[in-house]
Amino acid sequence: MTTALTGRGVGRTARAAREPDGTAPPARPKRTWAPYLFISPFYVLYVLFMLVPVGVSLWLSLTEWVGLGTPRWVGLRNYRLLATDISFHRALGNTAVFVLVAVCVIVPLALLIAQALNTRGLRARDLWRTAYFVPIVVSPILVALVFGLFFDRQFGLLNSVLRALFGTGGVDWLGDPELAKVSIGLVMLWRWTGYLTIFFLAGLQAVPRELYESAALDGAGRLRTFSTVTLSALKPVTAFVVVTSFIGAAQIFEEPYLLTGGGPAESTLSVSMFIYRAAFERQQFGYAAAAAVVLFVLVFGLSQLFNRVLGIGRAAA
Amino acid sequence: MNTTGTRSGRALLHITLSLLLLAFLAPLLWALSGSFKPRGDIFGYPPDLFPDPFTLDNYRSLLADQPFMRWFLMSTVVAVVATVVSVFVCALAGYGFAKFRFAGRALLFNVMFSSLSIPFAVILVPLFVMLVKTGLGSPWFALIVPWVAPAFGIFMMQQYIVQSIPDSVLEAARIDGAGEFGIFRRIVLPLLRPSLGALAVWTFLQSYNSFLWPLVLVTDSSQYTLPLGLQTLFVSEQRQYDLVLAGAVLAVLPAVALFVVLRKQLLEGLSTGAVKG
Repeated sequence: MTTALTGRGVGRTARAAREPDGTAPPARPKRTWAPYLFISPFYVLYVLFMLVPVGVSLWLSLTEWVGLGTPRWVGLRNYRLLATDISFHRALGNTAVFVLVAVCVIVPLALLIAQALNTRGLRARDLWRTAYFVPIVVSPILVALVFGLFFDRQFGLLNSVLRALFGTGGVDWLGDPELAKVSIGLVMLWRWTGYLTIFFLAGLQAVPRELYESAALDGAGRLRTFSTVTLSALKPVTAFVVVTSFIGAAQIFEEPYLLTGGGPAESTLSVSMFIYRAAFERQQFGYAAAAAVVLFVLVFGLSQLFNRVLGIGRAAA
Repeated sequence: MNTTGTRSGRALLHITLSLLLLAFLAPLLWALSGSFKPRGDIFGYPPDLFPDPFTLDNYRSLLADQPFMRWFLMSTVVAVVATVVSVFVCALAGYGFAKFRFAGRALLFNVMFSSLSIPFAVILVPLFVMLVKTGLGSPWFALIVPWVAPAFGIFMMQQYIVQSIPDSVLEAARIDGAGEFGIFRRIVLPLLRPSLGALAVWTFLQSYNSFLWPLVLVTDSSQYTLPLGLQTLFVSEQRQYDLVLAGAVLAVLPAVALFVVLRKQLLEGLSTGAVKG
């Protein structure tokens, strides 16, 4: 596979590689084997590092294992324990809150920003969208550090601003169970909005202008044009963005882990953190695997449902 | 495409966009300027954009006392290798899916596509166990190899190839007697260049910024990646946020620079698949 090979040489190599199988129909051998060779490096890795682990997770979830020795078969016990584990319930609830923030706050906001960026004749569009996108490019460590310092109760910038504006500013952003969720939500908002905006903007730019013109001819107002033309043309993009942000928020780890460590009192503990904690801090690998299977069923099931309902990926396959 | 006809509407639009710009960039500017301030000034209110007094001490002691360069090298080498391999593997498979009809194609594609909705935490534990048990837990293997075949990358490539490479070009090459791999290397790859750039930036950033997997996998502090190194610096030594701030700024600069240079390819490449759905 070096660059020195000529086209004909490569052809010979490829044919030579195909011959041992001998099962190719003689009529159009090229069409029969080449695609499998093309996709095989990907598919081997994909099966080994994605499909097999999912299977292993299922099996591990039926065992008890501290990471040493042989896993002990315990049947469905891990799942029964999960069903009554208050920490797991909290993790599920908190994750649901993060998902709602992503889907119901961040996604609509991204759509609004995209709509603003799509204004006809807007100058420096590239500058705006690039700047808005930067937060997702930045290492989560920097994000956590900066926002951690902003949220600091005594010296943080947020409380300083509040003190300057309203005279009082002892808000415990990361120490109060409810506010800690709000703080995590703010960081998610900051990190993800510009990223999702890109998809909406591309979708808006692909809407044919004639649709707007005919809506204007029909005398539709701005709101009606938005709902009948824009939203319906954006359906595939919206579906993609909703599913993407759902999956992203459902596996949220870095923001709560780095900012609050899941606290206070597990009020920001996410399911991913629960899995991490069970496996790598408490050596309950079977239990962690069971929680992972629950997360898999919920996220995979719901996104397949979304995909069915909203019709993503159908055109691609 | 709403038209803002009036002058006041246009002004309002620009004010809104500018406020958003401030909201998205101010925390980063704050970090940048803070990294040049002595520790006591970082929390100053109102925050000064231009540090006074200006100091390089944070950077100096970071580079002198911490193995920052080693973390940086580790992260960069891992990310570059993962990116190069991943782009090649994804382009190959994306081409296979986009331009050939073969038995099992729909099934293979759908299985791959649906795995986009498997959260990483689901395979975190089994993947860790598998790699460690088979002796493949070395960072050089485990931080790279499992990540070179992202379903997202194939999807992006497949979409792009369907849209931008006409069958006629491939047929013409076949009639000229070119081998299939030769066609891929000499015709398809060059035509794919913009989307290869997009996928490369994306893969690089994913790898360079990844945190959870290295956190689980890397136990030897001499093999820490940047995020891990900064994280331990932050939690272990009396919250040295002046050092961490300098380190985080240094860590983020290459990522942001890369993004800004290749932003066109990345932003367009990312949205290609989503728009066509």
